[in-house]
Amino acid sequence: MTLLTIFLLALITFTTRYLFLHPKIPVRLGPKMIRFLSFSAPAVLTAIWVPIIFVQQGQFIQSWTNPYLVAATVGVITAAKSKSVYLTLFISMAVFIVMRVGL
Amino acid sequence: MLPLNLAVIPWGILCGSLAIQRDFTVLEALLMPLIVFAGSAQLVATELIANNAPLATILFTTFIISSRHFLYGLAFRDKISKLPTKWRLSLGFLLTDELFALSGDNKAFKGVYRLFYALAAGGSFYLCWLLWNIIGIFAGAYLPDLTTLGLDFAIAVTFIALVIPSVTNFPMLITVLVAGISAVVFKLWQWQLDLVAASLLGMYAGYISYNIQAKFSLAQTAKEK
Repeated sequence: MTLLTIFLLALITFTTRYLFLHPKIPVRLGPKMIRFLSFSAPAVLTAIWVPIIFVQQGQFIQSWTNPYLVAATVGVITAAKSKSVYLTLFISMAVFIVMRVGL
Repeated sequence: MLPLNLAVIPWGILCGSLAIQRDFTVLEALLMPLIVFAGSAQLVATELIANNAPLATILFTTFIISSRHFLYGLAFRDKISKLPTKWRLSLGFLLTDELFALSGDNKAFKGVYRLFYALAAGGSFYLCWLLWNIIGIFAGAYLPDLTTLGLDFAIAVTFIALVIPSVTNFPMLITVLVAGISAVVFKLWQWQLDLVAASLLGMYAGYISYNIQAKFSLAQTAKEK
C-alpha cells in the first residue's frame, strides 16, 4: 500500500514540474505574462525563507535577539553589500552557530 | 551549486531518518528521494503515511505543497518546451527549488553549454539529495532528533544569499517585501496554500510596480521634451 502511495506521490511531483514544459499544453505566454513571471524567482524564494526566520512553532518570533533573526539580518546586509553567496553563507552561519551554541 | 547541495544535508538526513523512524521499509525509504524527489513534500507525506491518513488527503496535500512548481514550469516554458523530449523530461524531473534558484539569469537554458550546466546542477542536486537521504536511512537511528536543532536556517540563509543581490530595482524590492510579509501572515494563519499565494501576490505587486514605474518614466521623458 505504501509502495503504491509512493508511486502516486512521484507522479504528482513530476507532473507539477513537467506540465508547463510540455509543448502540447495549450498555453501561450504573452509579453505581459512573461513580465509577470520574471518576478517569480525572488517571490517564491522569499516566500520560502522569510517564514523560516519569523515563524517558529506556529508563532511569530518573540524576541529581537532570536538567533534566526540576528543571523538572517547579518546575512541580508552581507548579501546586499558583498553580493557574494559564499561570504554571506559563511558569515551568517557563523553568527547563527555562535548564538545557538556559544551563548 | 555547491552551497545549495550542502544546505540541504540536514533536510536530506532528516527525510531519510524520519522514514525509517516511521516504520518505512528500506526500499520505501529509498524510493522517496529516488522518484518523489522533493523536500517538504517528502517530509509531510512521510508523516501523513505514518499516521494512516486517507490516501486522498496524502495526495492532495502533496499536490498543494508541490504546486509552486507550476510557476517554475511556466517561467521556463519558452526556453524548455522547444527542446527535444529527453531534455524536457530530464530537466522537468530535475526542476527543484534549487535549480530554479540558480536559473534566474536570462541566458539560462540557452545554448548547449547552458543546458549541460543546468543538467549538471540539477543532477548534482538529485545525487546529493539521494546520498543525504541514504545517510539518514542508515544512520538515522543513531542521530539525535534533527528537527529541533535549527537546521532549517541553512536553507533560509542560502536563499537570502541568492535573492538579496538580485534586488537591484524598485519592482524587485516591492516583490520581495510583499512576498515576504504575506508569506509570514499566511503561515501564521496555517494556510496550506501559503507559499503559492504569497508568491503570486509578490509577483503581481512587482508587475504592477514595474508598470507604474514605466508609465512614470514615460511621462517624465514626455515632459522633458
